Amino acid sequence: MLKNYLMVALRNLLKHKLYSAINVTGLAVGLATCVLILLFVRNETSYDRFFTDSDRLYQVAFKAQLPGRQVDHFAVSMLPLAAAMKEGLPEVEMAARVVQSSIVIKHAGESFSESARAVDPDFFRMFDFQFLRGDRLTALDEPNSIVLTESMARKYFKDAEALGQTLDIDGSGPAKVTGVIQDMPSNTHFDLEIIRPYAAVAQVMRPLESNWGGVCCETYVRLKPGTDGKALSDRMPAWFKTAAPTLNSPTGNVVLGEIFTPRLRNLKDIHTDPVMSSMRPATSYAEIITFAAVAALVLAIASINFMNLATARATQRAREVSVRKVVGASRSQIILQFIGESLLLTLIGLVLSIALVELALPAYSAFLDKKLTFNLFTDPLLGPALIGLALVVGVAGGAYPAFFLSSFNPARVLKGASSGVGGGSGRLRMALVVVQFAISIALMVATAVVYGQLLYAQNKNLGFEKENTLVVRGFARSADRARQETLVEALAKLDGVVAVAGSNSTPGDGSENNTNVRLPGTDPNQMLVLRQSGVDWDFVKALGLRMVAGRDFDRNRPADQLPPLADPAEAPAGGSAAPTYPGSVILNEAAVKRLGFASNEEAIGKQFEAPADDDGTNKLTIIGVVADFHFRSIHDPIPPAMFFIDRDRFSDVLVRVKPGDVQATLRDIERVWRDMFPNRPLNREFLDDRIQSQYIREAKTSQMFATFSGLAILIACLGLFGLASFTAERRTKEIGLRKVLGASVLDIVRLLVWQFSKPVLIANLIAWPVAWYFMDLWLNGFTFRIGLNPLLFVAAGGLALLIAWATVGLHAARVAQAKPVTALRYE
Amino acid sequence: MLKLVDLVKAYRTEEVETTALNSVNIHVRDGEFVAIMGPSGCGKSSLLNIVGMLDTPTSGQYWFNGEEVSKYGERKLADIRKKNIGFIFQSFNLIDELTVFENVELALLYHDIPARERKERVKAALEKVNIGHRESHLPQQLSGGQQQRVAIARAVVAKPKMLLADEPTGNLDSANGDEVMRMLTDLNAEGTTIVMVTHSMPHAQYATRIINLFDGQVVAENLRAA
Repeated sequence: MLKNYLMVALRNLLKHKLYSAINVTGLAVGLATCVLILLFVRNETSYDRFFTDSDRLYQVAFKAQLPGRQVDHFAVSMLPLAAAMKEGLPEVEMAARVVQSSIVIKHAGESFSESARAVDPDFFRMFDFQFLRGDRLTALDEPNSIVLTESMARKYFKDAEALGQTLDIDGSGPAKVTGVIQDMPSNTHFDLEIIRPYAAVAQVMRPLESNWGGVCCETYVRLKPGTDGKALSDRMPAWFKTAAPTLNSPTGNVVLGEIFTPRLRNLKDIHTDPVMSSMRPATSYAEIITFAAVAALVLAIASINFMNLATARATQRAREVSVRKVVGASRSQIILQFIGESLLLTLIGLVLSIALVELALPAYSAFLDKKLTFNLFTDPLLGPALIGLALVVGVAGGAYPAFFLSSFNPARVLKGASSGVGGGSGRLRMALVVVQFAISIALMVATAVVYGQLLYAQNKNLGFEKENTLVVRGFARSADRARQETLVEALAKLDGVVAVAGSNSTPGDGSENNTNVRLPGTDPNQMLVLRQSGVDWDFVKALGLRMVAGRDFDRNRPADQLPPLADPAEAPAGGSAAPTYPGSVILNEAAVKRLGFASNEEAIGKQFEAPADDDGTNKLTIIGVVADFHFRSIHDPIPPAMFFIDRDRFSDVLVRVKPGDVQATLRDIERVWRDMFPNRPLNREFLDDRIQSQYIREAKTSQMFATFSGLAILIACLGLFGLASFTAERRTKEIGLRKVLGASVLDIVRLLVWQFSKPVLIANLIAWPVAWYFMDLWLNGFTFRIGLNPLLFVAAGGLALLIAWATVGLHAARVAQAKPVTALRYE
Repeated sequence: MLKLVDLVKAYRTEEVETTALNSVNIHVRDGEFVAIMGPSGCGKSSLLNIVGMLDTPTSGQYWFNGEEVSKYGERKLADIRKKNIGFIFQSFNLIDELTVFENVELALLYHDIPARERKERVKAALEKVNIGHRESHLPQQLSGGQQQRVAIARAVVAKPKMLLADEPTGNLDSANGDEVMRMLTDLNAEGTTIVMVTHSMPHAQYATRIINLFDGQVVAENLRAA
C-alpha cells in the first residue's frame, strides 16, 4: 500500500514537472528562509548561557529620571555600588566592576591604541571564561597582570607563548600576561579583548571612587545559590535609597535614590533587554518576535502555494481518487494518502533547503557578524527540529487539499469521459492568493518604512556639521592636557583647517555629565539638572552650531573663561565662605526652556549658579543660546545643556577641516601630531563615521528584513505563476471559443491578467490598514520619526500588481496567441 | 441479492427539484444478469450509483444481501462496497500514472491481502481477460478494448458478488464491445451477479433480464427469451 502511494506520488511529481518544481522550490526557499531566521532567533536568545553560574549572575541596570528629562535606561552604575551591595545585601556572594579604558600598548617599537577593560579580582571567579593558558582563579591577583584573548595574544606574540611575556602599557609600565582566554563567542554581551585588574586604573578612577552620582562602570554580582533574583531586584530601589547618600552641593541637594532606580538583570536576559551603554548592541524581544513572525509568514506563503496548486490540480487527480473510492478506499485512507504526498514534497523541499542553508550560511554569518552553526550531526536538536518543521508545513499545506480531494463524489467523476470536477474551490484559491499578497504587500510596506526611517535617521540634520569634522581623542592624562593648548594652536594654523576646539564631550561619544544648577528666584528644592560640557573658545565654530541668540565665546574677553580654582593651600585659613567664580555660559534651546525663560533673547544676561569642582560655586552669565543639536543619535531626546570654557582643558579635540583635499589636511594633522607625541598613535575619527556606526545594526536589521520580505514575495509569485499556468491550461477551450467569436489577443490577455489582478487589489485593502497600524506603532518608538506617506502604500500595492502582471502576462500572451483550432480540439 | 423498494432520488438545486428516480421497485436475485435501458436522462446512472453505494437515495429502501443500507453512512457503505461490488465504466477510468498490473492491484490494496497473494490474483485476473502480456504497460499505451479488459480485471480481481457496469461498451467498436460482453457473460456464468446500464440493444440481449427506465420509473421488465 505504502509502495503504491509512494509510486503514485513520485510519478505524479515527475509527470507534472512545473507544478512539482514550483512547489518544491517554494517550499525549499521558504524552509531555508525559515531556518536561517530561526538560527538567528536561536542565537539571539542563547546569549550568556555558557557560564556555569549564569542562573545566579546578574548585572545592575538603572532607570534614571533626571528632573525635566525623559526616562533613560542604562547598564552602567557607580563605582561604590559593588562594594556597598556586597556589604549591605547578604544575598550577594561576589561583586565585580568592569571599567572601560583606552590604553596605548608599546610593543616591538610600535604603538597601538587598544580598548581594555579593568575588572575587579572576583571577575574571573564569577565568570568561568575558558582559559587557554594561565589560571583563571588567580589570573588578575597581581596589579600588573594582563589577560588577553587568543586574537590579541596572536597580534602581539604571533605563535609564541604569550603567557609570562610582558606588554608595555603607556603610562602604567609593563604588564605581565597571566592568562589567554578564548575569543568572545558571538552570543555573549561581553566585549572583552584585553583585561586588566582594577588596580591598573585605580589611580585614574580615584575621584569617582566614592562618587554615587557618576555612572562609569558595569557592576556584576553573583547571588548565593537559591536566592530569588527577582525578589532581590524588587528590593533594590528601597535599598539603594538608603545606601546612596544625598549629594550636597552649593546649588542644592540631589537625592540620588529619587533619580536612579536600580534593578538586577540576569545575565541571560541582558542581550534581549536593550538599554544604553551596553558593551554590545542588544536585540529587543519585539525585534526577535518580528523576525520569527516573518519566518512564519514566509512558511505560510509557501504552504499556501502548495494548497493552491494541489487543489487547482485536483481535477487531474479526481479520477484516481474516485477509482480508489470505488475499489474500497475509505475517505480517511485517501486523506492520509494526500497528506503523505504533501509530506513527501515537503521532505524533498527540506533536503533542498538544507543545501540552501549550507550555501547561504557563510555569507549570512558574516553579514550578522555571528558564528552561526548548522550541523545536523553535532547538533542533536537540529534534526528533530527540522523534521518537526517539515511535518508542520506538510500537514498544514496538505490537510486542506486532502480533505478537498477526498470529498469527490466518484459517481459524478467517473461518469464522464473527462473528469467532471470543476474548479470548485476557485474562490478559496483566490482568497488564499489574497492572503499571500496581503502578506507580501504588508512586508513591502514594512521594509520601505524601516528603510525610510533609517535613511531619515542617517541623514537628518543633527544640528551640527558631521561632515569634515574630525575628533582627536586620547587626552585622558593630565600630562597630555598641558600640551593640548599647543596642539590646538598648531592645528589651527594648518591651511586646510577651519576651526579647532577642545571639548570634554563630542557628539556620539556616549559620555554625559550632568549637574544641578540654581536659578535665583526659583524654588531651591526644585532640581534643575543641566548637562554640562567644558569646551574651548571655538567649540561653536568647530561643530558648526547655530547661534540663535546672544553671542559666541570671545577670546578677547577673558571674563568668558572661568577663573582657575583656588589652590586649597592658599585658601584663607579657616575659610568659612566657599569661593564664587564668575564665568560665561552658552545654553541650548532646551536649557532655556528648562530654566523657564520666555524666549532665547530673554535668557541673555541672566545668571545662575552651578557647583565648581571644589566646594565653590560658578556664577554663570548666559551670553548666548545655540540651536538644539543631538548629542547621540536622533533616537535620543535632546537634553537641556550648557557649555562653558573649561579651565581644566579637555579630553578630545574637534578639528573642522575644509572640504576638498581632506587627505592632504589629514597628513598635515598627522605630522603635527607626530612632532608633539612621537610615541603615540594618532587616535582620530570623523564624526560622520562615528554617527553612521550607530546605525550599522539598524541598517543590518533593515537589510535582513528587506531580504526576507523579498523572498516572501518571490515565493508568492512562484505560486501565482503556477496558478496562472494552470488556469491558462484549463481555460484553453474557453479562450479558443472567445477567439472564434472575435476576441483579439489583447482582449484575452486582459481577461486573464484581470483575473489575477483582482486578488492583488483586494490584498491591498487588507494589507494597508494592518501595515499602517503596525508601522505607526513601530515609528512611535522613535523620538524623531518619519510620517507614513499614503503614496508608499499605493506604491507597494502597485509594485505587487506589476509583479503579478509580469508573472501572469507571459502565460496569458502564450495562451492568447494559440490558434483557436488547436484549443478547440483540446478535449 | 438486492431489492429496491419505492426508491426515490431527487436532486435539489437552489431553484428546482429534479426527480431522477421516482418510486422504483427492482428485485435482482443472486446470479442474475440484468440490463437497464432507457433514454438519456431517464435515471439509469442515478440508479446505478445508488445500487453501487456511491450515492444514497432520498427515500425508499435498499436491501443488499438482506441488509437495509439506504441509511448507512459513507464509511459503512465503503466497507460493504469493497467487499461485494465491482465496477466497470464506459470511460474505463484507469489511473494514468499506474501500470496495468498496478491498476488491477489497486482493487486489492484496500483489502488486507498479502503481497504474494495479490500478485497471484492480479496475474490470474489479467490472464482471464487475455491481457497478461501487457501488465507493465501504462494505460495510454493500450487500445480502448484492451483498457476496458484491464478495467474488467480490476473489477473482478477482488471477487465481488456483484458487478456493476455503466455502459461498458459505449466507448468501444463493435468487435471489442462483443468481446467485453462475452467476458461479462462468462463471469455471470461463473456466478457473479451483473447489473449493466447500456444503450445498445444487441448488448442488452446478453442479459437474462432487461429493465426499461423512463423518466425515473420502471416501465417494463422483460425476461430475455432463453
